[in-house]
Amino acid sequence: MTGKPSRWHATSSLERSLIVGGVGVALALAAGRPALVVLVAPLLVLGALGLLHRPTSEPRLFATLGHWQLHEGQGTRVRLEAYDLDDVEHVTQVISPRPFVAVRPPAGALGHLLADGGQIASLEISPRRWGRRVVGAEKVALTTSWAGYRWGPIALVGREISVLPTVSHLRSGGEAPQPIGLIGAHRSRRDGNGTEFSSIRPFHAGDRLRRINWRVSLRQGTLHVESTRAEEDTAVLLIVDALADYGQSGGVGSTESSLDVSVRAAASLAEQYLSGGDRVSVRVLSPGGEYAGFGTGTRHLRRILVLLSHIRPGMPREVEIDQIDFRATAGAVVVVLSPMLSEPLATATVRLVRRGLPVIVVDPLPADSTPSVYADSDEHLSELAWRMRLLDRSHLLAQLSASGCPVVPWNGPRTLEEVLRRLARRGQLPQVGGS
Amino acid sequence: MRSTQPSVWVGRAVVLASLLLALLAGGPAGYHPRPFIIVVVGVAALASAFRPDHLIVSLTMAFIVVWWARDLHSQMPAVVLVVAAALVVAHVAATLLAYGPPTLPVDPRLAMLWSARGSLVWLAALLVWGVARTYSGHGTPTLFWLGGLAAALVGSVAAGFAMPVRGEGVE
Repeated sequence: MTGKPSRWHATSSLERSLIVGGVGVALALAAGRPALVVLVAPLLVLGALGLLHRPTSEPRLFATLGHWQLHEGQGTRVRLEAYDLDDVEHVTQVISPRPFVAVRPPAGALGHLLADGGQIASLEISPRRWGRRVVGAEKVALTTSWAGYRWGPIALVGREISVLPTVSHLRSGGEAPQPIGLIGAHRSRRDGNGTEFSSIRPFHAGDRLRRINWRVSLRQGTLHVESTRAEEDTAVLLIVDALADYGQSGGVGSTESSLDVSVRAAASLAEQYLSGGDRVSVRVLSPGGEYAGFGTGTRHLRRILVLLSHIRPGMPREVEIDQIDFRATAGAVVVVLSPMLSEPLATATVRLVRRGLPVIVVDPLPADSTPSVYADSDEHLSELAWRMRLLDRSHLLAQLSASGCPVVPWNGPRTLEEVLRRLARRGQLPQVGGS
Repeated sequence: MRSTQPSVWVGRAVVLASLLLALLAGGPAGYHPRPFIIVVVGVAALASAFRPDHLIVSLTMAFIVVWWARDLHSQMPAVVLVVAAALVVAHVAATLLAYGPPTLPVDPRLAMLWSARGSLVWLAALLVWGVARTYSGHGTPTLFWLGGLAAALVGSVAAGFAMPVRGEGVE
C-alpha cells in the first residue's frame, strides 16, 4: 500500500513568518518605525530557522497490515514503514473513516514527534462486522524541524480484507435424526460397532466373542450377543437466505440485522458440526450464489467462513429460487436460515421436507426490525405494508410447522439441540406409508 | 463519530485571544484602536482560529503590524514587547493547529517543544528592543534597525543550534 509520490512544500507557518516579517521590515524602513522591527523580529527568526532546515531527503512510505483475514471484533495494526526520514521531525497520520471499522485512537488521527530511531506509531483498526472491508486507507504528512516544510499529505491506498463472522466454539449435544455416513458421533438407527446398547440377539457368524452375553446364553441355551448402535457422521446443509437484510446492524456486540444473525448462526453451526467430524455444505441465496459442497475439517470451515464473509444481499440472478437444486444428500440435516419473507423459498423448503429430509427453519428476523424504504415513501403506507408482510410470514411459518418443519428463533449455538432430539425421536417411530 | 478535539478548541481560543491582545495591548499606554478596527481584527482573528493554515492568519497579523506602524511613530515603548509576544503566541498556536485536521489532538510534547521555541525567539524582540533603547539618541534610526536585523539573524542561528530537533530532551 503505497501512496502517490509527493514533494516538499513550504508550510503556512513559514509563509506567515516571511510575509509578516517582510511587511514589518518594509514598513520599518519605509516609514522609519524602528519599533516594528521589535514586533516582527521573532517571526523573522522563526522564518530563518524554517529556511535553514530546508529538507533534501525524499521520504518513501508504505502502509502494511498485520493481518489479511480477521474475525469480527479482532484487531490489527496499520504499520507505516518509512525510509529516508532524515529531515522529518513530525508525522501526522489520519485514517479514513469506514463503516464498521473501529480505529484507535478513536479520532482516527495520530500525530507525534519522530523518535530517534525513526519509529512511527501505528494506528489500530478493528472491523466490527463480517464482510469485505477496506482498511488501511490513510493520509500521511511529514513536517520538518521548525515547521518550515511539509511533505504530503499523501493518500495511502487501503486494502480489502475478509472479515469472517464470529464462531462460538461449543460442541453441540444434538444428535442427527438420520445419520448416514462412516465414522462420527451420531447414534445411527442401524446396529454396528458403537458404544450405545441396542439389543440382545442370537449369535451370528462374525460376531465378536467379547460381545457374548453369557448369562442370557446360559438361560436360553444358545449363544446371544449384545448389539450396539453404529455411530456415524452426518451431512448438514446450511441454506442462508440473503435475499434481503432486515433491521439495523451495529456490528459485533451490538444490534443485529437478520443477515447478521443468519451469517453468524451459519458460521457457528458449521464450526460445531465440522468439529464433530460431520460433513457440512453451505448454499447462499444471493446474487453471488455462494456455494460450498459437503466437506470436513478445519480447511473446509475456513472456506465456509470466507464464503459467508463475501455475502452481499440481493435477489439471485438468472435463477428462480424454487428451481434451485440444493444438492441435499440422503440423510442430510437441512437448516434453513431465513426470515421466510420469500414465498418461493418457503415452497423450496416444503419440497425438501417432502423428500423426507429433516429440515429446520431458523428464524433470524429481529423482533423490532423494519424494512428499508425510500425516503420519499409514505411512512404510514410502508408501515401498513410491512405489517401485512409480517402477517403473510406468520401464515407461512405456521404452514411450514404443520408440514413437519420446525421453526425456531436463533438463540445461540444450542438452538438446534432440542429440535434435533425431537426429530431423532420422531425418526425412530414406526412409519406407515409414504407421503 | 469524529469531532474537534478539546485541545484544538484551546488552540483556537489562544489564536483568537493573542491576536486581539496584539491589537489591544497598547490600551493602558494610550494606544487605542478604533472600534471598527477592533471589529475587523476580531472577525479576522476568529476566522484565523478556525483556518490556521489559511492566508487569513498572515493578513490579520500583517494588519496588526500596519496598525502599530501607523500609531507608533518613532517611539519604542515597552508594550511592543507584549505585542511581539502576542504575535509569537498566535503564530505558534496557529502552527500547532496546522499540523493536522481538527480531529487530531495537539500533541503535548509538540506543544512543549513549540513553547520553548516561541520563548526563545521572543528573546530576539527583547534584544532588538534593548539595543534600540540603549542607543536611543546615540545613533541614526537606520543604525538601530540594522543592528536589530543583525541581532535577529545572529539570534536565529544561535537558536537553531541551541534548540533541540525531533523533540530531543523534551518530555
